[in-house]
Amino acid sequence: MSDIGFLYAGYGVIWVVLGVYLFTMGRRQVGLKRDIERLEREIQRES
Amino acid sequence: MTMERTVEPTPIKAGSGGRSLVVDALGVVSVVGVLIGLYLALLWAPTEAVMGDVQRIFYFHMPSAWVALGPSFTVVFVCSILYLVKKDLRYDRIAAASAEIGVMFTTITLVTGPLWARPIWGAYWTWDPRLTTTLVLWFIFVAYLMLRASSSPGHKRARLSAVVGIVGWVDVPIVFMSIRWWRTIHPLLINGQGMNLDPSMAFVLMYCLGVFSLLYVYLLIIRVRQEELGSRVDRLRQQLLMR
Repeated sequence: MSDIGFLYAGYGVIWVVLGVYLFTMGRRQVGLKRDIERLEREIQRES
Repeated sequence: MTMERTVEPTPIKAGSGGRSLVVDALGVVSVVGVLIGLYLALLWAPTEAVMGDVQRIFYFHMPSAWVALGPSFTVVFVCSILYLVKKDLRYDRIAAASAEIGVMFTTITLVTGPLWARPIWGAYWTWDPRLTTTLVLWFIFVAYLMLRASSSPGHKRARLSAVVGIVGWVDVPIVFMSIRWWRTIHPLLINGQGMNLDPSMAFVLMYCLGVFSLLYVYLLIIRVRQEELGSRVDRLRQQLLMR
């Protein structure tokens, strides 16, 4: 691989790692909000 | 007896996702700032005379290392101590959030370093003191996250995590000093005469350090909010089980 290839690979890795992390955070946020809504509904139903 | 302080997380309003304008603005500024940093690093900064274009990896490699070793793991250390002193789970949540971000930035450091090293040193990896101590740090905080993932939420997990966070942080000054204490092939950026860098390269580096620090603050706020939401989910589950 040429020097430029290593440079692109380096910056590519940075964006992939950041992108995967932000995607995971987004998924987690959606999951948590869904869990809270579901649990609050169940509590309301039982009271 | 230790009790969690009854600090209610920010309520989730419909459509808002518990977000605020200031935090959203911080997110936008961070992302735009990183994109400008990318332009400065790849196109604006001068080409290094000996290493050539591959040296441009440095402008994101070093800020990643700074965010991981500086704010991220230091916040884990400080919040772990605060948790042990005050027994307040808010500190445990901040430590956990910061550790995760620190591991992410250490991963970037550990992957971009070898990609820079291969054309310069002729090898992706050497058991150099700086590289080895950074890898050890990564393992310590991955173990910290695995410990948290495999234990039930509460004070027992928080206590154990705090001890690992404090002991693990001891490696941070070792990583920093490794290139001064031992023989190394890792570049020494700051020596007795100051910074070994051309002024325009130093400007790009400083800019990227600032932007990565902003990005860290943004990610930390979002992750701490998620930890608070997670704790709210746990409380609701307990409430449901007690009925």
